[in-house]
Amino acid sequence: MIINVTTRSDTLFLPDFCGVRMVLALMVIAELLALVLALGALESSDRWADLSVLSLFVQWVALTSAAALCVSRRWLVRCSNHSAALLSYLLLLAVTASVSETAYWVLQSDIIGVSLPAFWHRDFLLRSLAVSALVSAVALRYFYVQHQWKSTIESETNARIQALQSRIRPHFLFNSMNIIASLTRSRPELAEAAVENLADLFRASLADARSRVPLREEIGMARKYLHIEHLRLGERLHVEWGMDTVPEDALVPVLTLQPLLENAVYHGIEPLVEGGIISIQGRTTGGIIKITLTNPVAPQGALFRAQGNRMAVDNVRERLVAYYGADAGLTVVVATEHNDWRYSVSLRFPYLRAET
Amino acid sequence: MKILIVDDEALARERLRGLIAELGGHEVVGEAANGKQALERAAALLPDAVLMDIRMPKLDGLEAALHLALLDEPPAVIFTTAYGDHALAAFEAHATDYLLKPIRREQLERALGKTRQMNRAQLAVVRRDSGEARARRYISAHARGMLQLIPVGDIVYFKADQKYVTVRTPEGEVLIEDALKTLEEEFGERFVRIHRNSLVAAASIAALERDNAGNCLVRVRGITERLEVSRRHVAELRRRMKAGAEGGGEV
Repeated sequence: MIINVTTRSDTLFLPDFCGVRMVLALMVIAELLALVLALGALESSDRWADLSVLSLFVQWVALTSAAALCVSRRWLVRCSNHSAALLSYLLLLAVTASVSETAYWVLQSDIIGVSLPAFWHRDFLLRSLAVSALVSAVALRYFYVQHQWKSTIESETNARIQALQSRIRPHFLFNSMNIIASLTRSRPELAEAAVENLADLFRASLADARSRVPLREEIGMARKYLHIEHLRLGERLHVEWGMDTVPEDALVPVLTLQPLLENAVYHGIEPLVEGGIISIQGRTTGGIIKITLTNPVAPQGALFRAQGNRMAVDNVRERLVAYYGADAGLTVVVATEHNDWRYSVSLRFPYLRAET
Repeated sequence: MKILIVDDEALARERLRGLIAELGGHEVVGEAANGKQALERAAALLPDAVLMDIRMPKLDGLEAALHLALLDEPPAVIFTTAYGDHALAAFEAHATDYLLKPIRREQLERALGKTRQMNRAQLAVVRRDSGEARARRYISAHARGMLQLIPVGDIVYFKADQKYVTVRTPEGEVLIEDALKTLEEEFGERFVRIHRNSLVAAASIAALERDNAGNCLVRVRGITERLEVSRRHVAELRRRMKAGAEGGGEV
């Protein structure tokens, strides 16, 4: 099972005006607009009174606009961004016009009883519409630019994760093919198993790099990989698993363990005449999963591994960080004891449960 | 033809054995799982050709081939390799015999049909072009039928007698048949000539001293004996020691 990270299917450039945060932000902006309008008036007997009336009116327009955009969102989503922009622009003007009209009639009505000159009605309507036309255009443009900027960032991040897609070494592929060619003659059933495992590994490596899988599947993939390597290396390769206490439904980026194991085999076990033990130990503390892979290294290879040739390690680290942010990380330790060099990679990431 | 199969993977050796049996006309005289074993078996079994994997523990195929070329009657070497090896381009460039894994029977047949020996110089160039150092990492010494591999980094000095060259490490010494001149060519970056008959590891030089008779001697880390420096090599030795001190690392 491979779980895809959801990408934004909803690409409408307008933010969701149904949310409380958005409405609050809108109210603040509306109030600022009212302030600007009050300050901008050339002559005024009482600016505070003007401001309160203007605030009432602008807030009214703003909140009605938000409500209208919230309700019409489900239709706007279906349009292209160009028609959505035009429609929402017209919608905003219509809201302004109707709120202005209502305001006029309320002012004139018996409840308030203000007598207004005749030319005032048309003048008020036109001025409201002009202000709304300008402010709406600026606001829509702002939302559009912000949307463009967000989607650029998003596609860049996606491209980066795709580029980090883990690659299986050609060295492993061709040596495995050679082993399979050999087994086909002597032990066809082993050859068959090797082909099946190899196919699964390649399927996983061709999967979307953004996919995440439950840990149990990643462990299964690691075992398939190690099975092939065991055919190649025989008694030189021993593996110790200590993953019993780690929740197997935890999500990990696809092919997290395999590249690190491949490193351990390629740089650790293969250069040693006697081979050695690769150990994979995991534990969970406070919602954080820590997995440590340890392998022996030849002394001359230890420093080399510590300094350079860390592509697989960097790749896994970047993918973990891209998913989990600062909660995830990867550390490398090279230690020596009685001239036995050991190389360990520790992964740490938050426990997020896979939905089953 | 007598063939030695060298590969660290048992199944890879098994396959080659099978292919050679099918071809007929050849005899597999032995197998080796690493470069060191290859040298031991080659010295004992005297094969005509060696099928040599490149990436092996302890001593890789390219270096093992360099050592094989030192034998009195060196066998022809055909390299076998997987895609990932950098040596590939070097093989192509120098028309070295190599086979790509998984190896096809026809290609094996063709390669065995036109085996040829490569000399050390050719091998050294292939090795250098494949991204390895041109020099060997080990010196091989055959003593009483036993093969010994001495890491070049452990060697303090080479000293020539009439027929042999003494290889001195802090642990002891062994005799090899290489000529001092070719050792100087191969390891000139690491060793400096101090006398007509000796090369000393630049990194091991502790100090220059003079004895009562006015002879120049070099004190070497790891051993107690002093080595004589001939007058004509003093200037060069001082230059190398200065360069080493400035470089702050190995010379």
